Amino acid sequence: MRLAGATRSILWMAAALAAGCAGNGEGLDQNGQPIGSGGGGPLTPDFASIQDNVFTPICTRCHSGPSAPEGLQLDAAHSYQLLVGVPSTEQPTLLRVKPGDPDHSYMVLKIQGSAGIQGGRMPLGGPYLPQSTIDTIRQWITDGASMSQSMAMQAEVRAQRDAFEVVATSPADATTLTGPVDHIIVAFSHELDASLVNATTIVLERVQGNELLSAIGPPLAATLTLASGNPADVIIRPATPLGAGVYRVTLRGTGGGALADVSAASLGTDYDFVFTVEAAR
Amino acid sequence: MMRSRVGSRAPLLAVLAVGLLGAFSRAQAEPYIAVQQGFKCSQCHVNPTGGGLRNTYGDVFAQTLLAAKHIDTGSNVWTGAINSFLSIGGDLRYDYTLDKVRNQPSTNELAMQQARVYLDASVIPDRLLVYVDEQVAPGGAINREAYGMYWSAAHDWYVKAGQMYLPFGFRLQDQTAFVQEVSGINMTTPDDAVEFGYLRGSWDLQFDASNGTAGGPVVSNGKQYGTQLQFVHPGWRAGLALDLNDSATSGRRAAYGLFGGLKTGPVAWLAEVDLVVDHTVPNGLRTAGGLLEADWLIARGHNLKITAEQLAPDLSISVHRNGQTRWSLVYEFTPIQFVQLRAGVRYLDGIPQADTQHEQLYFVELHGYF
Repeated sequence: MRLAGATRSILWMAAALAAGCAGNGEGLDQNGQPIGSGGGGPLTPDFASIQDNVFTPICTRCHSGPSAPEGLQLDAAHSYQLLVGVPSTEQPTLLRVKPGDPDHSYMVLKIQGSAGIQGGRMPLGGPYLPQSTIDTIRQWITDGASMSQSMAMQAEVRAQRDAFEVVATSPADATTLTGPVDHIIVAFSHELDASLVNATTIVLERVQGNELLSAIGPPLAATLTLASGNPADVIIRPATPLGAGVYRVTLRGTGGGALADVSAASLGTDYDFVFTVEAAR
Repeated sequence: MMRSRVGSRAPLLAVLAVGLLGAFSRAQAEPYIAVQQGFKCSQCHVNPTGGGLRNTYGDVFAQTLLAAKHIDTGSNVWTGAINSFLSIGGDLRYDYTLDKVRNQPSTNELAMQQARVYLDASVIPDRLLVYVDEQVAPGGAINREAYGMYWSAAHDWYVKAGQMYLPFGFRLQDQTAFVQEVSGINMTTPDDAVEFGYLRGSWDLQFDASNGTAGGPVVSNGKQYGTQLQFVHPGWRAGLALDLNDSATSGRRAAYGLFGGLKTGPVAWLAEVDLVVDHTVPNGLRTAGGLLEADWLIARGHNLKITAEQLAPDLSISVHRNGQTRWSLVYEFTPIQFVQLRAGVRYLDGIPQADTQHEQLYFVELHGYF
């Protein structure tokens, strides 16, 4: 950002702070965006409505940007992909949103302040969501936690525009983490063709910790599933949680039966990432 | 300054306590105490960027000067030291709140806001330590900080590595302050990082490199880099902070902060303005937050805090149309050492059409610390 722009913004803030006035809301919707730019409307058990009425105006005050708490960005561009079918970082045995099961969706437990959650009830420090809002979110999950039609169309447009590729892995490449590791997540840019997700296209191996990264033994047995409600993510669950060692995940993106999205676009190249697991001390 | 060991130094500490009582007529806690006293954060905390476990000076200071009444414990002065190498400390905050949001039923509740335990294992006294900050309530335990830190012999530089809070502006107690939320760098978002600090005379300088995901899944795309520079004069201070987060595949996020403090008689003033330019969201977003705080030390153990805050959630829309303000009035009474009572009201005001931007929060808080 240009220095002049930053200076102007800071001076603007200082003046506003001195004046101590809140905005008059002229020409804006309830999310503070220009009327007609999208959003608004009553809260209904629909993801777009929940995004517009809850996530965007309330949650993104903290849960935005790459360093959002627990890595959970709740702006419209990221929320669905990071919520539905994705294990919680605070309690990895629970999904943040488990379609059809609000009682075992960690996000619901957090906004309800249920017993057993880690950290504080959300929104942190309050005001907490009204029960009617929580009930609406629960209903959306009970109904399957689907993406709204309008958002699905936007996602489809993005899918057609963007290449099919790996956008993130957890653990990330060349990282070290403390074991045991019971699941690995690979996030793709598009919804995967589930029929191509198998042990020949996704291979988990233990490798030697030298430059050659030679495989030690055969590939490790693992269960491969698409994240519940979020078919752009694959969750790899080793039959035996990974202990100390170096591991490689290879995604086959070329040749017959290669990983591809639902539009039959393949990765175009093989992709792998390596991580190190250390024993818990 | 790192925690000095006690062992057989109790009489020495008693003398230090008496000395502190004589040296200062007034004292307060948290960032404004630093402004009040002209201290750097490292004067009272193990962590040179502030917060968490208090060092010996901080412990003695808190016991002898923070409270309206000091219950004399003779030569037995709490320093948190278990032995020559291990020290502990903690903070507990228990609240009663009454929350009124426009067009919503008001809520009131008693709740544990936070209980934290700190551990410092100084395996080489004053040079090498392992530090842990564990939040034990509410809910299950969460590790907030766990790092190792190495100090130079002259204590003019250090290196930290592990999970830690990153330095960015004032480390305020109120994690819901606009400037804390805007920057996203606060005590709810520790990160795996390496931090280098240089403390020389009136200057404090830090550099840090971190994953930039605040505990979330790590991606290989990039990292977060930050720096903070602060000049501390006995009567005033000024600093700037920069942070660049390149960890998201969707774009960069940059945060800029300016902060400063001034002491005018019994009043300590704190000011901070943060600006964030976020390209991780479609079309980019510029957000800014500002804080102006006055802490009036009415008498020893009695502090009145008045805070004015401004939030510009989207600078492409004028603050005049889309701004939010928050005013806080908080009275802090510390009757005896280790016990503080806080009572206050926060008033949030925003655009007329957003009910959630119109809130009145009343609270009474018991704060225990050791």
